Amino acid sequence: MRLKKQSLVPWCFLAIPLTMYAIWVVIPVFQSMLFSFTHRDSIMIETRFVGFANFIRLFADPQFHLALKNNFVWLLCFVCIPIPVGLAVALLFNLDFGGNRIFKTLYYIPMTLSFAVIGTIWAWIYQPDFGVLNSFLRAIGLPGLAKQWLGDSRYMTGALVAVGVWRQIPYIMILYIAGLKNIPIELIEAADIDGTSWMQRFRHVVFPLLGPSTIMAVTISIIDSLRSFDIIYVLTNTKARAAEVLASYMYSSAFHYQDYGYGSAIAVMQFLITFLFIVFYVNNSLKNEIQR
Amino acid sequence: MKKFMVFAIICVFCVSTLFAQGVKESAKQELIINSYMSDEAPKNAFAAVVAEFERQNPDIAVTVNTTAHEQFKTLLPSWLTSRQAPDVVTWFAGYRMQSFAKRGLLEPINDIFPGGSFEVEFPQSFKGASSYDGNVYFMPQSWYWWAVYYNKAVFNRLGLSIPETWDEFLAVCEVLKRNGVSPIAMGAKETWTVGGWFDYMNSAVNGGEFHQQLTMGEIPYTDPRVRKTFEYLIDLSQRGYFQPNATSYAWQEAATLLFKGEAGMYLMGQFVFDVAPADLKGDIDFFRFPTVNSKEYAVDTPTDGFMIPKNARNKDAAKKFMAFLATAEAQKMFCEPLGRLAANTLVPPLNAEAAKGLEMVKGASFAMQFYDRDAPEEMAAKGMNAIIDALQNPARLDAILAALEADRVRIYAE
Repeated sequence: MRLKKQSLVPWCFLAIPLTMYAIWVVIPVFQSMLFSFTHRDSIMIETRFVGFANFIRLFADPQFHLALKNNFVWLLCFVCIPIPVGLAVALLFNLDFGGNRIFKTLYYIPMTLSFAVIGTIWAWIYQPDFGVLNSFLRAIGLPGLAKQWLGDSRYMTGALVAVGVWRQIPYIMILYIAGLKNIPIELIEAADIDGTSWMQRFRHVVFPLLGPSTIMAVTISIIDSLRSFDIIYVLTNTKARAAEVLASYMYSSAFHYQDYGYGSAIAVMQFLITFLFIVFYVNNSLKNEIQR
Repeated sequence: MKKFMVFAIICVFCVSTLFAQGVKESAKQELIINSYMSDEAPKNAFAAVVAEFERQNPDIAVTVNTTAHEQFKTLLPSWLTSRQAPDVVTWFAGYRMQSFAKRGLLEPINDIFPGGSFEVEFPQSFKGASSYDGNVYFMPQSWYWWAVYYNKAVFNRLGLSIPETWDEFLAVCEVLKRNGVSPIAMGAKETWTVGGWFDYMNSAVNGGEFHQQLTMGEIPYTDPRVRKTFEYLIDLSQRGYFQPNATSYAWQEAATLLFKGEAGMYLMGQFVFDVAPADLKGDIDFFRFPTVNSKEYAVDTPTDGFMIPKNARNKDAAKKFMAFLATAEAQKMFCEPLGRLAANTLVPPLNAEAAKGLEMVKGASFAMQFYDRDAPEEMAAKGMNAIIDALQNPARLDAILAALEADRVRIYAE
């Protein structure tokens, strides 16, 4: 009886947060899935069941294709740039040198800034006539490279991804710093005594032991790249169609165009794509970890 | 014990004072107004109107919640459906209002007008855009015009005269360009600024009625006449007459180029004066959009005003406020500092600029509200993006128009 009461206690403490999570996260997710099979506006006055019509429209929608393509660019860049750069920076800051803590703090600052601040800073950096970036390019004799970064459809996505990557690197750095601290120093010393080079130690000892951190870093980068919205919103207010991603298209469809059903369909697609990526990657990685 | 007693007495005193204040305040009615007038000048003008209403109605406490214009448009539907809707909201006449009235989200206000009906002090021509299905739901407060604003100092320095035809306009642009002045400012970061260009170019090339039919979804975007309008705009861009990097400038930032003389002209609404420095206002004037194929011209005359949500908590106070806003006195108080035209016909043009605007509007053969007020929001949003896309990628014009047409078929079918 006492054991039964004790096992109930944690659930009592969890009841309120779980209820809130269910109300504000789980139930709305299922509601969105239901809405995706309806035609409804955000005022929710005219609602009718349309089956898969929203999804059929989605697959034929060139704007959806563009959003998907842009999201793929985000995914590729978020996996290929912040992870190796974050790891490199983490390895550097894992060494003991003067000013280590100060540099670590400075590198972490982007993570502490709100997206509104980030948007304001980078809007000025990207300003084509007097922004820092184009002014610098002109000053070093490269005026041809001074582009309309947030106004030209050819460069918009790249410019926005650069901001996202700049913010993501410190996050990955912190993950890897924590992972490096967990590596037993005896293993490193033993490898050193055996006469291995730094690269051999990294390849055969350090990197494999950073497996859990890498899984976490890649998973988070995939999720963050697929749900990227904040940076696009603050820098373009979702008006720049050329930089459209799934999250911004979902927002515009639901709240600007009042097409809640279609916006929900986009949200469902985004969820499915993210879910499939994560399940595939985590499953694969955990299998490799277990085998090791 | 003594310290505890003193502390307790102080607490009781403070709490009772707070409650007393609450009781005093609760004797007043509360009126909540949600407004999109976030620019300084109209915000201050409206605050003065509200202060006067409170002075005349000391039993009503007014709270004005100001939201930035673009965010207001997104939030309004959720406010209108809320069980705790605001009592009064600012909004636009025309289709944008009628779509809410059609869904039963607005309170009829037939009885708030001076003299007992709309037509006594308001123009009959405004009634259509303020009504739906026989009831008036929208109280027009002010209206203004869009025109080509120009820097007089730049024009005088270069010996330019006001162009009346398209060829004359192109000639003026060429002179400005050759003298290092951006001929046309265009802050297209928010995209709606190109809506004015589409309204004026299409009505100049094809006529006002054609443009109205297009915004009502009756003309396909693949029609050769619509293509011609796009070609005129692309031609301006290809000649280098639009300011460089226009899509990186907000409309206010582009206006600064006009005020400083770095741009010669700016197709914009009269509210451009709201952001003009006081010492530079005298350098800015306007002329009507040049004609292309006919001597007749159309004008954009967006009408701003107020509505009462159906779910407003204090409809009595809301109607009292609307009745006050409809009076010539209140409309003059708002329009005078801004140079706008009051909807109430008893208020004459309040300065020379307003009188000139009124004459220009009176001479027009056709009046439009604005692209994103005459057409469904999604259609207008896609149309404006299509214009920017066409200006940046003219070789893709056919594909752009085909995509726009597919959107038109879907949007108007719904």
